[in-house]
Amino acid sequence: MAKKDKEDDEFRPTGTIAVLAIFVVTLIAIWATIYMILVGRGGTL
Amino acid sequence: MKQYQLSTGEKKFIGSHLLVAILALAVGSLFGPLQAFEHAGWDIYPYIKPLIKSYYQGLTVHGVLNALVWTTFFIMGFLTFNVTFGLKRALRNPTLNKVGFWVMVVGVVTAAIPILANQATVLFTFYPPLKANWAFYLGLTLVVVGSWVEGWGLFATYLGWRKENPNERTPFIAFASILTALLWQICTLGVATEILTMLLPWSLGLIENVDPQLARTYFWFTGHPLVYFWLLPAYISWYAMLPKQAGNGKMFSDSLARLSFWIFLVLSTPLGFHHQYVDPGVPPVWKFIHSMLTFGVFFPSMMTAFTVVASLEHAGRKQGGKGALAWIGKLNWSDPSVAAQLLAGILFFFGGIGGLANASYNVNLVLHNTAFIPGHFHLTVATGVTLSFMGISYWLLPYLTGRKLWNPKWAVAQAWTWFVGMIIFSNSMHVLGLLGAPRRVPLGLAPYVPAEWNSRLLQVGVGGAILFVSGALYLTVMLMTALNKEKVAEEVQVPIAESMQDPALTPVWLDRWAPWIYGTLALVVIVYGPQLVDMISNIALTSPGFRVW
Amino acid sequence: MSTNQIHIDPYERNWMIISAILLVLFATAVSVAAFGMGIQVPAPEQRVDPRTVATDPNSPWSNPGLREIEPGKYDAYVLARAIPSWEYLPKEMTIPAGSSVSFYVTSSDVQHGFKIQDTNANFQVVPGQVSKLTIKFDKPGTYNFICTEYCGSGHGVMYGAIIVTP
Ligand code: HEM
Ligand SMILES: [Cu+2]
Ligand SMILES: [Cu+2]
Repeated sequence: MAKKDKEDDEFRPTGTIAVLAIFVVTLIAIWATIYMILVGRGGTL
Repeated sequence: MKQYQLSTGEKKFIGSHLLVAILALAVGSLFGPLQAFEHAGWDIYPYIKPLIKSYYQGLTVHGVLNALVWTTFFIMGFLTFNVTFGLKRALRNPTLNKVGFWVMVVGVVTAAIPILANQATVLFTFYPPLKANWAFYLGLTLVVVGSWVEGWGLFATYLGWRKENPNERTPFIAFASILTALLWQICTLGVATEILTMLLPWSLGLIENVDPQLARTYFWFTGHPLVYFWLLPAYISWYAMLPKQAGNGKMFSDSLARLSFWIFLVLSTPLGFHHQYVDPGVPPVWKFIHSMLTFGVFFPSMMTAFTVVASLEHAGRKQGGKGALAWIGKLNWSDPSVAAQLLAGILFFFGGIGGLANASYNVNLVLHNTAFIPGHFHLTVATGVTLSFMGISYWLLPYLTGRKLWNPKWAVAQAWTWFVGMIIFSNSMHVLGLLGAPRRVPLGLAPYVPAEWNSRLLQVGVGGAILFVSGALYLTVMLMTALNKEKVAEEVQVPIAESMQDPALTPVWLDRWAPWIYGTLALVVIVYGPQLVDMISNIALTSPGFRVW
Repeated sequence: MSTNQIHIDPYERNWMIISAILLVLFATAVSVAAFGMGIQVPAPEQRVDPRTVATDPNSPWSNPGLREIEPGKYDAYVLARAIPSWEYLPKEMTIPAGSSVSFYVTSSDVQHGFKIQDTNANFQVVPGQVSKLTIKFDKPGTYNFICTEYCGSGHGVMYGAIIVTP
């Protein structure tokens, strides 16, 4: 079955962290923008 | 090492799925740009009136052919491929699969007739009491039943394999494909109940009235997991094929990939009320519970993001990629299959963000049925899924037919034009929605459009024009490949990324079906049961049908 | 290695923790808006018979329009209909700024939508059901309400307006 390469053991997904950090920041920014629109438009009760 | 060979018959069978799928996309997608042009004020509908009576008849064609037919046929074909190739085993009962396929085809034709005759201009959600011709509902039922039968053919094949290989881990692509087919069987019970207990007898004149609120509830029981039925096949390719194609990368984590598929199975059905947040007939407490479960199902998508990006990074590093982000440039962008799927994945990130906003309970008050929604799902189903499927077809069609991909450079251009067109189109749709523009409206003609929407509406048209070019490129490449005289020298290698960790080390509980299935059904009963029982016992059959188009 | 333990890369474990925290934050924010700021989704209000709701003299929708309950507080009974021609009844409502209006909307035929621009009123109108939300109008101006659910060929022209006078 899958042979274990030594370099696989040493592989640290640092670039993945960079990509996902950008993603999380964008996610929070967009979500918060829409949330603020919601709050700005006022109550419904 | 020689790869497992599918029989010619099996290849033809899978190819027939592709053929129907692409034909559906060809016709269905034609209307997308027309709708976008209409928004920009370039109204073409008056000129096609002899064929298509209205914007809404076109929109019905667009929604049904793209979202239901293109996806379902491509997916059933791809799953069939994954199961036989993954298990290295012939279909156990090919007749069963064939029957399923033909029932689906008959269903599509049956539904197409009333749609083209303007007797079913009810859009792809067909909310009653809009009442279509009975053939429309019958056709949809046949498509669903046919897909069930094809699913049974896949299950039978899997069980046969399991008997022959009692102790082996199910290979990932087969495992994930069986799971997708199973999810489909469970979730379509909703729409099957809607059609068989209400819409079909009603359209045949056997019952006079229906309960529209209950019908919506049945519909969305299926409607949300439907998106996972679209999505999971793309995830299969991103997890297990794309890393290999992108630069000989390996799948970062076999066990977490499987775990996230299990969570998708368990969580994707019991949260349909997130499409009914602003329905009058569903208590807020259930809406809230479903919103929390929806946050839950976002979790495996976050895991998927990690595993897929890490597997791609592995590929990029292998190709000598350096830096935090520069490795991305080392991926095999000149392969159209890779370019299409990477670009699809990038836009899918943004689709996910919009989806999370939609799903966030009261935030839906800002977004419900605004142009934001089509903005959102053109990033998900119409790009994340569709552009990925296009990417898959760039290797799958040559694999199935033995003909070389015609003009790969055009195919790469196709991926990029889809990406660029969709950014322009969907960005402006999102903004329009936040400004309050409704969906499902020919906005070029609507009387209440304020001036501040106009520049955005124009951009919708520009995006649509670029997408039109991209769609035409795709069809050209597919057609020319199918007719290509140039054959591939030897069978196309199916891209399969091995797992970094030996799948034999994947825990056994990730390869057991029964507990997960029971868990899924139990959760459905808990979070749908009480409200459904209440709605059915207080059923109000008070709505006669209307044809107001 | 035991085959019951799932191996999780430490980076990925951290990512899963961050994802979970993020989702908890979002869940908290929507809960604050819902239960703290009164931004709620519609709740079941009342069931009606769509075949008679517009004609039965006992039905408030046989005489749709504004009712002042107490100074500055109104109930608005709104009928959405595709037949005979896509419209809301009443098409226009005028109220002074600072008024709070509870909208009770239903349909006498197919499904419709009801979205008042620049407010959080945005809901589905389902025959047989009554949709209700309450909105306070502080700023004078014209607030269009538009149909957000496909209801036949006239869907795109179906709208009305609330005029808030200073
Ligand atoms: C060729 C590129 C495409 C363009 C320019 C396009 C454009 C549009 C536009 C403008 C709408 C909104 C209509 C409205 O709300 O009034 C729409 C709706 C829709 N599109 Fe597309 N589209 C394209 C491709 C696709 C694809 C590939 C899919 C699915 C696989 C898809 C699925 C849908 C669905 C499900 C709807 C909603 C229909 C409804 O509201 O009933 N589209 N499209
Ligand atoms: Cu959903
Ligand atoms: Cu409407």
